[in-house]
Amino acid sequence: MSRESSVIIGAGPAGLTAAYELGKRGVTSTVLEASDQVGGISKTVNYRGYRFDIGGHRFFSKVPLINELWHEILGEEFLLRPRISRIYYNQHFFDYPLKPLNALAGLGPLESFLIGLSYIKAKFFHIHDEKTFEQWVSNRFGYRLYNIFFKTYTEKVWGIPCHEISADWAAQRIKNLSLKQAVRNALFGAKQGMDGSTLTSLIEQFHYPRFGPGLMWERCRSLIESQGSRTVQGVKVERIRHRQGRVDCVSGWSASGEQLEYDGRHFVSTMPLRELVHALDPLPPEEVFKAAQALRYRDYLTVVLVIDRESVFPDNWLYVHSPEVKLGRIQNYKNWSPYMVPDPSRTSLGLEYFLWDKDEEWTWSQERLIELGIRECAQIGLIEPREVKDGTVVRMEKAYPVYDQTYQESVATIRRYLETFSNLQTIGRNGLHRYNNQDHSMLTGVYAAGNILGERHDVWSVNTEKEYHEEERVAKSSAGDRLVPTRVSVSVGEAIEEPEDKVIEIAFAKIDPLALGVAVGVVSGLGIFMASAILLLRGGTVVGPTLSLLANYLFGFEVTWTGAVMGLFEGGMLGFAVGALAAGLRNWALKAYAKIVRWRGEREDRRHLLDKM
Amino acid sequence: MNSQSKQTDEISRTLARIKADALAVVCAVIGGVGLFAMTAWLVIKDGQQAGQHLQLLSNYFVGYSVTWPGAFVGLVYGAMTGGAVGWAIGRIYNRVVNVRQR
Ligand SMILES: Cc1cc2nc3c(=O)[nH]c(=O)nc-3n(C[C@H](O)[C@H](O)[C@H](O)COP(=O)(O)OP(=O)(O)OC[C@H]3O[C@@H](n4cnc5c(N)ncnc54)[C@H](O)[C@@H]3O)c2cc1C
Repeated sequence: MSRESSVIIGAGPAGLTAAYELGKRGVTSTVLEASDQVGGISKTVNYRGYRFDIGGHRFFSKVPLINELWHEILGEEFLLRPRISRIYYNQHFFDYPLKPLNALAGLGPLESFLIGLSYIKAKFFHIHDEKTFEQWVSNRFGYRLYNIFFKTYTEKVWGIPCHEISADWAAQRIKNLSLKQAVRNALFGAKQGMDGSTLTSLIEQFHYPRFGPGLMWERCRSLIESQGSRTVQGVKVERIRHRQGRVDCVSGWSASGEQLEYDGRHFVSTMPLRELVHALDPLPPEEVFKAAQALRYRDYLTVVLVIDRESVFPDNWLYVHSPEVKLGRIQNYKNWSPYMVPDPSRTSLGLEYFLWDKDEEWTWSQERLIELGIRECAQIGLIEPREVKDGTVVRMEKAYPVYDQTYQESVATIRRYLETFSNLQTIGRNGLHRYNNQDHSMLTGVYAAGNILGERHDVWSVNTEKEYHEEERVAKSSAGDRLVPTRVSVSVGEAIEEPEDKVIEIAFAKIDPLALGVAVGVVSGLGIFMASAILLLRGGTVVGPTLSLLANYLFGFEVTWTGAVMGLFEGGMLGFAVGALAAGLRNWALKAYAKIVRWRGEREDRRHLLDKM
Repeated sequence: MNSQSKQTDEISRTLARIKADALAVVCAVIGGVGLFAMTAWLVIKDGQQAGQHLQLLSNYFVGYSVTWPGAFVGLVYGAMTGGAVGWAIGRIYNRVVNVRQR
């Protein structure tokens, strides 16, 4: 039995980041990893020199600290790659995000006309109480477009009919920008990426490590080891012993069948929430156990084919919407990075299949899956079967935490229970049952490390509505405790965060209509009174015939002392109305500007809905 | 509107303050240049007899007339009046905002 200060379960991005952050502050830890490779879902597999990811991993983050960490770990190994992706449907390739002319050409005039009609119908006969994904997308794009470009792919990925997926799920994928955020993005650009480029442009191009995301995590493991921590691979944690609200130790089996036990003062788990709960010893109360049981995961496998052709298609990936094939997406790793293939005259394609582990295909042999892949790829006209020179299959269990109707309640129950432990934190994608990207998972790792060191962060707040504030907070609090020099390009986001908000706060400050009304009213009323009074004091036979014309507007006004007092009140009221109206209009115009900016942002975001599946 | 949407639709929680001196300068420039331009335009367009109505400003602005020298006098008066109006609006506005925020 070994005693370590912190034991971290899982060497994916979340676990490794937690260990790395602890190490930077002089605290060592032991990271236990079930598989023989680090990186979790973000690993890069090397098959005879052909490298490939589980899917494809674009690197972009709104969190300055994460951009900084990526650079810290990987230095100059990032490539900036153009993003090209298309949809394959009905023997045609459509640019994605959709472009009207390109879509028109692919669909033909009749179909385009019908899509137009269905779009207009959706605008006029909006489904008011949107409950399902189908209704949500149809409301925004029209039913026909939904049916062609969203339905099949979504159902392939999630294995659930679109009319059973909740509308919230789609809504969550679209940025819920506050007006202030929208204005900030419009005026100062969206959040900065690693090199200071904006996120919007990072959707057109993205960062990618030269040898795939796995390189990042291999490097991270080396860094952790140089800090004095260790990573133990091939140990699957199956039991977490606890008593009186504290975890004492975890145990698991090594590849050689030996039982290993690790105790420590702090425990951080990135294992799937369901497995974590089931591993607790003693078991938790029945309702917590049942809640864990109810959590579902979507599994994933990729069939990698080595094609004897220099270039098969120009895209990084293709979405395959055609219902006649099971494959959902095809990655072309060479287009992610040319270093992903050992032989430039060949191409490696990753055919992505989204499955349940109960599905028949999940149990198929590698040969049978490769056969399926070749057949489907040939069926959609991408390759000739004889061009395939090699192939392999990688399975990734629990690739996607499923957001079904009950998951929120289940997660809340489990969370309440786990919060009773004083030295156990669950983080990461499956650890929080949240649809995280690497950056989110890493941020939970940073939080967990901070918590061990006495800070107070809510790991559950990452990648939620609250997220924005958290990002800002981390960005600021981290500025002081970095142990390595901060890169200028990376810190840009942090440095301008606060002044930006101040500028917006001042520039968009509301003009108080009442106050402006009073001010203009007082000045106008007094002005008319004084104008009348001066004429009256000067005297003459006919006093102020021209000023008297104001009676056309001010009821009962004349250049007399009584009239001057009436002018004072009426002019005051008129001035008040003008001042208040001017202030109201100015406030309204600024808000209208912000709303237009936000609407544009949301529209742009909706165009990328498929990327967020 | 529920509290959530109210919160997300708030761009700025600050009530603007007016810099009375700055507003005075702006209004002074508008008033001065405005009166100068109006006077000069009438003089150029209709000669020295022009501007019966504008001439009436001499009731308030002693020495003002619709002539070239009057245009310069008007420049000074316009600027002074504009400045006073701007300054007063700014001061009163700020005072009311302060009272309302107390
Ligand atoms: C198809 C696909 C495409 C994606 N594309 C992107 C992208 O473009 N950009 C991006 O940023 N992110 C992307 N992601 C998400 C990204 O892969 C994950 O967010 C990230 O890997 C999550 O890190 P994690 O550490 O939280 O979890 P994981 O990556 O799941 O790592 C958890 C680790 O814990 C280990 N483990 C689990 N149980 C045990 C146990 N009992 N004992 C010991 N070890 C255990 C696992 O083996 C694993 O190594 C994608 C994900 C998928 C599925």
